[in-house]
Amino acid sequence: MMLKEKQNLTGWGFLAPATLMIAVMSFYPMFRALILSFKTGIGTGMTWSGLYNYTRMFQDGVFMQALKNNFIYLIIQVPIMLILALVLATMLNDRSLKCKGLFRTAIFLPCATSLVSYAIIFRSLFAVDGFFNTFLVKAGILETGYNFLGNPTSARIVIILALIWRWTGYNMVFYLSGLQNIEYSVYEAAKIDGASPFTIFWKITAPLLKPTILLTAIISTNGTLQLFDESVNLTNGGPANSTITMSHYIYNMSFKYVPNFGYAAAMSFLILILVAVLAFVQMKVGDKRD
Amino acid sequence: MIKFKSGMRYIFLSIVSFLSVFPLLWMVMAATNKSIDVSRGRLLPGTELVTNFKNLLASQNVMGAMINSFKYAIVLTILSLFICSLAGYGFEIYHDKGKDFVMSIILLAMMVPFAATMIPLFQMFSKAKLLNSTAGFILPTISVPFLIMLFRQSARSFPHDIIEAARIEGLNEFQIFYKMFFPTMRSTYAAAMTITFMNAWNSYLWPKVIMTDEKSMTMPMLVANLTEGYVTDYGMLMVGVLLCTIPTIIVFFLLQKSFAEGITGAVK
Amino acid sequence: MKRKVMAIVLATAMAAGLTGCGAASAPTEVKTETETEAATQTAAAGENTLTVWCWDPAFNIYAMEQAGEIYQESHPEFTLNVIETPATDAQTKLTTAATSGDLSTLPDIILINDSAFQKNVISYPDVFVDLTDSGIDFTKFGPAKVTNSVVNGKNYGVPFDNGAVVNAIRTDVIQEAGYTIDDFTDITWDNYITLGKDVLAKTGKPMLSMQAGESDLVSMILQSAGGSMFDAEGNPTIVNNELLVKAMDVYAELVKSGVLVEVNDWDQYVGGLTSGNVASVINGCWILASVQTAEDQAGNWAVTDMPKLDGVEGATNYSNNGGSSWGITTNCKDTALAFDFMASTFAGSVQLYETILPKSGALATYLPAADSEVYGEGQEFFGGQPIYATITEFAGKVPSINTGVYYYEARDAVSTALSNVIAGADINAELKNAQDTVSFQMGK
Repeated sequence: MMLKEKQNLTGWGFLAPATLMIAVMSFYPMFRALILSFKTGIGTGMTWSGLYNYTRMFQDGVFMQALKNNFIYLIIQVPIMLILALVLATMLNDRSLKCKGLFRTAIFLPCATSLVSYAIIFRSLFAVDGFFNTFLVKAGILETGYNFLGNPTSARIVIILALIWRWTGYNMVFYLSGLQNIEYSVYEAAKIDGASPFTIFWKITAPLLKPTILLTAIISTNGTLQLFDESVNLTNGGPANSTITMSHYIYNMSFKYVPNFGYAAAMSFLILILVAVLAFVQMKVGDKRD
Repeated sequence: MIKFKSGMRYIFLSIVSFLSVFPLLWMVMAATNKSIDVSRGRLLPGTELVTNFKNLLASQNVMGAMINSFKYAIVLTILSLFICSLAGYGFEIYHDKGKDFVMSIILLAMMVPFAATMIPLFQMFSKAKLLNSTAGFILPTISVPFLIMLFRQSARSFPHDIIEAARIEGLNEFQIFYKMFFPTMRSTYAAAMTITFMNAWNSYLWPKVIMTDEKSMTMPMLVANLTEGYVTDYGMLMVGVLLCTIPTIIVFFLLQKSFAEGITGAVK
Repeated sequence: MKRKVMAIVLATAMAAGLTGCGAASAPTEVKTETETEAATQTAAAGENTLTVWCWDPAFNIYAMEQAGEIYQESHPEFTLNVIETPATDAQTKLTTAATSGDLSTLPDIILINDSAFQKNVISYPDVFVDLTDSGIDFTKFGPAKVTNSVVNGKNYGVPFDNGAVVNAIRTDVIQEAGYTIDDFTDITWDNYITLGKDVLAKTGKPMLSMQAGESDLVSMILQSAGGSMFDAEGNPTIVNNELLVKAMDVYAELVKSGVLVEVNDWDQYVGGLTSGNVASVINGCWILASVQTAEDQAGNWAVTDMPKLDGVEGATNYSNNGGSSWGITTNCKDTALAFDFMASTFAGSVQLYETILPKSGALATYLPAADSEVYGEGQEFFGGQPIYATITEFAGKVPSINTGVYYYEARDAVSTALSNVIAGADINAELKNAQDTVSFQMGK
């Protein structure tokens, strides 16, 4: 029993530095932001307003639109991206594949590519006289160029494509590293037993990768609900706010418009609540020690 | 393994790779062209690379920003990996109700948009006189819930019999961590290192708030300087962007084998 | 072996991290860009030193450094420390510093976009020094320009670069359609659309391009007729605003007739100009710097005034878009020095404006500069036209309006309305929505 207690204490010792840093660097500022969210006013002149900010945001048309946009991105983009990342990771984990290093690096490159160049390229690819339209017109699918970024639905699709493009390789990294914990001979044995690739994937790969999949699902949910870069740089929220995200609007509220930090903080806490609920659900489903 | 017909899978991977690399290629092309040709959409290599590079050196302190970025990113990566892997290991190996609860609370820390916590954080750092310093750069992101969770999840596949065996051999708990866990989890460390380095290297919002001194400027801040102005020199901008991208690619390329090709004599 | 190496690496890294805190104030020794001896800390700036935040090395930074040199001639002990800070970064830093109550990180002088000036003064009243009695003569600047940095009748900004609207046209293109620059001078939007359709039919080139979802052109038309999205008290007047409706009608008509093409971003907008896909541009005069990067089009451009609204009393051919002004912060320890510096350079030295014009094209709103010979010189790129004198003259005729503290809110709301109207929505209903959005954001 003594030993057990000692180990328990060691455990706390191991996680103390990290936990302490998070308490100081995240929770303290969050607490300050929480207090702020109960105040309202311009710039530095803030007064108490109770729950006013929290009720206010639900009457805010732009914020509601942003909330809806975020969920559209989340529901469509996250599953596609994670499945694609899984498929790529399994393919690249095959020892018989040649040039693995090159493929891996290539697929990882998008998330290392600077936002500046990637935004310029995506916008020009989808421009009215851009690459895609030229291609579609030449192929006879369209008669004249279509303004992809000028229509709400297609602009959202462009954002989703951009997100998948940028973050698939990132998630693949975790799957690849997770796959290393699975002995390769297990696959060999399964193959010899005549198991189909699909069965191998479902019976061996997926269960063993479950902790990693859970992790990436939570990270992606969080990332998508806090999405900022793409909304700002690809579409600037347009056309007519149809692609704006919550974080983009919060940023505008703090740094572009006449600043109302109380309101911005309150909207931030709504994001926290949403992510926390979703993460909780994901943990309940996926985080069991068997 | 999903077994595509062997040829098919090369075709598929080649297409995905090409799509992934395309913007980078464009960037390299653009870096060799005159600004006016870039804005006109020229896609062929040009002859202006040296000129663009010289212009960049003349208008921005590239060396200083590079040194700063490397310094911040390396220090942050190493410290962060150490603190977070220690915690992740601790959360999993010694898990009990209390620690599981703390873990779920910690996850909350990554769920608030940075824009909301930035101002209180700035207040703390300016009071602590940590503006324009390495410590100022690294402290807010030194302990990352995501990394802790990554190490916690991977510690789950770390066999407990190894720990027991080590204990019997008389290793203390910290020795088990760094003599057993650390080398076994090389692939997780390599993956975490890649991601942490990249995030540190690209981090922008926080540095731009606390780095008020030109001497503390980082590469992403330098690139931002190039895009602001009535006229953008696209050729020069792309040289800057390229310089800002290469280090991450190199880090990835060097580490990818470590996290993707397993460890000889692995556990289990 | 490997483990040992790793342990050492970790240990040194820890040490580096620790010393990193201590050695923080001594960053790597690197050469600073500004020619002046840079003071290490803004807050600790020594005597006779002024620190400035501004952006764009070819424009604002260049101008500020020249001003520093001019001032040094009479004050040899003076040093100027210019820190390159993009406009959005400056806003973030200003906001953070002001909100956290620690102003010590701010510079002495800060460049701010005109459209954000009032917003910042009202949100952070403790940050800006009142310049009304500083000895700077504000009557020497274009009145429409000065208004941007006036709050409650007090001056907070020294006007700098000019945003007077120009209508710059490819003379070779319109010639192909049988027109000259005179046909486009002092005309109305109706005339313009008729001419534009003809040019499009004959040359296949649209007259204009504009970023989709940006209401810049609508704002320019609105101001040219003396209209604003706010009344004198700062209340939004977007709904039932006859001038705004007219301006939006003009825009919609331009798009519908194909005389104006919408592009998706700034790079495509500039690309369209430099590659000769559009025949002209209407924007703040600073756009000419981008136009002039297309060296192969030299001699084929000319500048004239913009069209005015038909049938509106007080409508003019002049407007404004963009521009910025210098503010002095309360972190400035030696305001007397800052006042004197500004009064003897940006607000008092024709020589300064003569120096910066040829290299940067930075146009003054300082009226005495317009009489300078340098301003009257013909510009080869524009077929020998003395465009700088012309533009400075335009600047003096721009109607003064209240752009409003909530300028960005209104601009975004009207942009949204504009996108929807182009897509076929009812203009009055959209303007009602826009007004509601702005009122909501103003907390009314």
